[in-house]
This record gives sequence, structure tokens and C-alpha cells, in this order.
Amino acid sequence: MTTPKALLGVAALLVALQATAHHSGAMFDDRKSLTLIGTVKTFQWTNPHCWIQVLAPGPQGPVEWSVEMGSPSQLIRGGWKPRSLKVGESIRITIHPMRDGSNGGLYMSATRADGTPIAVPVTNGSVAAASGNPQ
Amino acid sequence: MKISSMFSRRFAPILFLTVLVPSVHGASNSAARVRAFASLPDWSGVWLSAAWPLEVSGRVPGGEAQLKEMLQLIRPPPYNATWQARYDEAMKDTAALAARSATFKACTRSFPALMEGPWVFQVVVLPEETLLVFESNQVRHVYTDGRAHPPDDEIWPTRLGDSVGRWEGDTLIIDTIARKQEPVAPRAWASTLSERAHFTERLRMIDPSQLEDRLTIEDPIALAHPWHITLTFKRVAGVNRAIEYDCAENDRNPVVDGKLVITPP
Repeated sequence: MTTPKALLGVAALLVALQATAHHSGAMFDDRKSLTLIGTVKTFQWTNPHCWIQVLAPGPQGPVEWSVEMGSPSQLIRGGWKPRSLKVGESIRITIHPMRDGSNGGLYMSATRADGTPIAVPVTNGSVAAASGNPQ
Repeated sequence: MKISSMFSRRFAPILFLTVLVPSVHGASNSAARVRAFASLPDWSGVWLSAAWPLEVSGRVPGGEAQLKEMLQLIRPPPYNATWQARYDEAMKDTAALAARSATFKACTRSFPALMEGPWVFQVVVLPEETLLVFESNQVRHVYTDGRAHPPDDEIWPTRLGDSVGRWEGDTLIIDTIARKQEPVAPRAWASTLSERAHFTERLRMIDPSQLEDRLTIEDPIALAHPWHITLTFKRVAGVNRAIEYDCAENDRNPVVDGKLVITPP
């Protein structure tokens, strides 16, 4: 038996459908972008999200930022690898910051300190070579 | 102890392992099964809903606007008057809806939402059944050996329902019933149907890089007329295997005071 309560969720879809695969993106401010220039403290290659911990200069010394990315499966498709970043490496990374002002955000783009890309997305042309699939 | 007895005790297990086990596990497929397999289409590869061209961020390029345009199962079902009235009433509580949406998290989905989810899948086509194996560790079993759905006293609603299928040329016709009506949450696509809902899919490869799933949903309790949807899946570039998606491995997004947050590593 369906109740009005059960119907609430469907209605919610029309109110604020979020765009991330695992959870609502409401905590990130899509209207803002913030670029951090710092060093990699850790690179977590984990599910459901990979994370880059970045140490960026702050008014009273280095501040640690948590940058959320997609899952390893999504990163692989984007050309990333588990060792794409090294601890201590300089990085320039742009994020959608947290709405609550905490030191975190959603990954938008990143380059190494000299401006070179960290990863090159795989293309359709590489599929056959990678998989041996005749199609 | 007799020598023959010692021999038997010491070497019988070895004899079993070297002679009998291989003869069992080395059994060849019958000619009939080989022929059946050879007649089936090759849908190997890794596939993903066309609605989810995910970026490294875990989002789609066009954000919410793109998802609203692409996702079909989030659209209001063609309810009958009774169910439409309930739906309209629920739409009024926008504060509650916004709160639920802001804290939404999901690691699995029920059918048919799973078919329009963000997780890659593989299709394993066998003579007896076709398996749709999803990155979310969910598996749809579509039995094609001629069996029927279980009788009424042996079937109960589940999140993926019960599926049987048959081949019409290179098209797999999937018949699914007994889909559980879940407590609905944001993104619980098409979950708000009765447990009498009947799903028919026509799954086929339309070109080497695309699968198409023509889905018809009938529900004598909730819908005014059948609901027709066409889903498309793209062959995924750059991966040659499914990658584990263990949602509990390192979840740093708990809900605190009604909001999703980020916790330290």
C-alpha cells in the first residue's frame, strides 16, 4: 500500500535533483570556484571517492584541504592512475568549495605546478587496444 | 597394517585428485550447448548508461540540468487519478523534500532504476541465462532456459524483481515481476509503483558501441496506461575490466545535523 509519505521522495526529484553519482551535491557551491596552489599531502585511491589532501598556504601557516573526486572507476576512465600524484608534489587545483566554509570541496580540474596535465582522458580508440575486444 | 591398506590410505586421495576430479571438472560442453552459445550475440565489454557521462569529479559535465534532461525514469509516471492526487499532495511539502534531497546517498538501486544508474556493468550471455553484472555489486539474473516465474506461493517482492527471458533473434526479451515497492527516496527512480507492476524489456545491440533497452511498464494499480521508455547504454572507453565499487571502504561524507559534510582522512 502506497502512502503519501512514500510519494515524498519522487516529488523531491523535481525539487533538487543532484548531479553526483554517490550522494547529493548540495554541500558544494556550484556557483563558486576556488583555486588552491599547494602540495599533495596524501592521495587516497578509494571508494566511493578518491581524495586529494592538499596543503595550501594560510594566514597562519599551511592549511589542509580535502578535495573530493569520483570513484577509482571514474578516475581510470578520466586517465588517472593510483600513482598519478606523489606526496609532496606541487599542484594547482580548482574546486567547488564547501557551502559551510570548511576546508574542502569538489574537484573541478588540476595541473602540476608547471601547468602540465596530470592525466589525459582515455579515448574510444584506446579501448580495443586495452581490451583486445574485436569490436 | 597390510601394505595394500596403507597404499590405499596414502594414495587414494591423490588418485582421487589426479584422476577423478579432472574428469569431472574437465567435462566438455555438449555439442548442443556449444551450438546454443554460438547462436547468441556477443555483448562483451563494459557498458554505462548514456545518461551518466561521468567526469573525474564524479559528476556529469552539465550538472543537474543535464541529468534532468537525460534521465527518463525520474519523470512523473503516467499515474491514474488516485495516484496522481497523492503525488500532487506530496509535492506541496517543499521544505521536507529539499531536506531529503540534500542528504541523499546511494550505493545500490532497485530495478529499473539500476538500469539508469551511474555504475558500469557487463553482460554475460549464456545459453541458460543472461547476467547483468553491475559495478555496484548487484546482479540481474535473466533466465532464458524456458522456465516460468515462480508460482504465487513461492515468489515475493525483491528490489530487482524476478526476471525470465527469451531470444527473438539478437534481441533479449526480459519479463520482470515482483519488484518491491520501496520506501521512496530521492533518485529512487520509478519505485513508486505497486508490486503488481510488470516490466517488459527489449534489449539489443544497435551498433558496436551501443545497447538499447526498450522498457514498457504496466501497473494496473498505479498507472493509467503503459509507460514506454527507451534507455541507451554506451560502450565505455579505456577500461577492460569491471572495477570494484565498495561504498563502505572510505566514506568520508556522513550526515551531520541534517547536512552532508566532509570528514578528515
